Amino acid sequence: MIRLENVSLTFDRPVLRNVNLHVPSGKLFGLVGPGAAGKSVLLKLVPRLLSPTSGTVVVEGSDVAGLEQPALFELRKRIGMLFQNNALFDFMTVEENIAFPLRQLLGLSADEAAPRVAERLAQVGLPGFERRYPAGLSGGQKKRVGVARATITRAPIVLYDEPAAGLDPVSSQKLFELLRAEQQQHGTTVLMVSSDIDRLLPVTDYVGMMLKGELIFQGTTQEAHETKHPAVRQFLRGEIEGPL
Amino acid sequence: MSDATQLGSEAAQAPARGSLIFGLGTTAVKLLVAGRQMYSVFARTLSFTIAGKSDPRRALGYMYSMGNQSLVFLCVVMGFIGMIVVYQAGLQLLRVIPDMTQLGATYLELLVKDLAVSICALMLATRVGAGIAAEIGSMVVTEQVDALHMCATDPIDYLIRPRFVASIVMTVVLVVIAGSVAVATGAITADVFFGVNPDTFLDFREVDAGDITIGLTKAVAYGATIPVVSGYCGLSTRGGSEGVGSATTRAVVNSSLAIIILNFILTSIGYVLFE
Repeated sequence: MIRLENVSLTFDRPVLRNVNLHVPSGKLFGLVGPGAAGKSVLLKLVPRLLSPTSGTVVVEGSDVAGLEQPALFELRKRIGMLFQNNALFDFMTVEENIAFPLRQLLGLSADEAAPRVAERLAQVGLPGFERRYPAGLSGGQKKRVGVARATITRAPIVLYDEPAAGLDPVSSQKLFELLRAEQQQHGTTVLMVSSDIDRLLPVTDYVGMMLKGELIFQGTTQEAHETKHPAVRQFLRGEIEGPL
Repeated sequence: MSDATQLGSEAAQAPARGSLIFGLGTTAVKLLVAGRQMYSVFARTLSFTIAGKSDPRRALGYMYSMGNQSLVFLCVVMGFIGMIVVYQAGLQLLRVIPDMTQLGATYLELLVKDLAVSICALMLATRVGAGIAAEIGSMVVTEQVDALHMCATDPIDYLIRPRFVASIVMTVVLVVIAGSVAVATGAITADVFFGVNPDTFLDFREVDAGDITIGLTKAVAYGATIPVVSGYCGLSTRGGSEGVGSATTRAVVNSSLAIIILNFILTSIGYVLFE
């Protein structure tokens, strides 16, 4: 379970304003909104890569602000994360990138990690890519390697920041279906930021929408479809006329 | 006087925002904060080096890239420095006492105690320090450092520690090799321009254990300083490619400044201990 209570964050200007968000355990929560709404920043609050200016972030019952280094590392072991820019280590091969969490978090050797990496690469549609370097991959391929790394440890909480960016419609559809199937199979709690509304909404249990740093809507996917909130309706339907 | 009145009076006495005193105060506070953070990076790097998991493969890789790729550069620089210093010193000596027998001994003492290690460290700060800051800074802006955090990996342990070990070892090795080149070019210059026989020039009687100790201590200290200062600059990168450029510049400037200040401190300590 992930809960944000009255969370605000200010850099040189307010980025998040009084956000209250609740992601129930074992559910897939889709977070949508226009650019610069604060979605990626919100995602980074969960594993305390950023700290809020005010408010509380609670993950699996723990207030992350109060965690000492060992407890924080333990929490991060239970969270997989796909970054917006993929954040692949450019000095490592694809295999080393995906094996990195297995080696650092689970203590596996390179030989022990190799079959799991190969299996995961096949699942994301990149079999035989082990020896390549990130610089030699397309944007979509990097994204899929990032997804493989984020999910390789089967962490109970996974945060995805734009998992389908750069993918063609077919690959994007396959990826969303794979992520949804795995989420349901393992009962993972997922918070997913995506601009691909058409493919995101069919796989979500809950949806939230951010606008200018505020969470203006959260509810079930059904409620999102039926909402009367003009900005949410316009955004979800992709209409030109409206308040946005 | 009430609290409110006292606070109002203090506010009235406080330097105005934008004034010279306010600017100096702000700069001083920023410098103190940066110094404290840099010390924290050094302490944690040292702690990870002593008590952390050893990773010789990565340290050896950095030794190769730092050492192998800096060797020719340092040898060329020290070769020319040796020629320039001996030529200029010889000219000055000719004007004062036209006796060249002390040229080699004085030059070698200066080279071992200070010149070789300081010039090499300044050159390494530009070459290695800039590289460290650029690499780590790029990792920060592309969220790779965040990805390390998510794998419960401390960036200081993973990124700075192996470079710290490699830099200490390779600074000592490079100073010895490049210093030897400076000895050779100095001897050739003395022979060609002043007719000083190499046997006379290579007079190591003025170089004692204290000089060697000071030289090696400086090499270790500078070797430790460059990755810590540059790594700190890289980790504090903000923004995009402009931020990486700024971090690289700060790394070179701050490493060079730290080397000069350390030189003063270590030279003073050496004078007290060995003179």
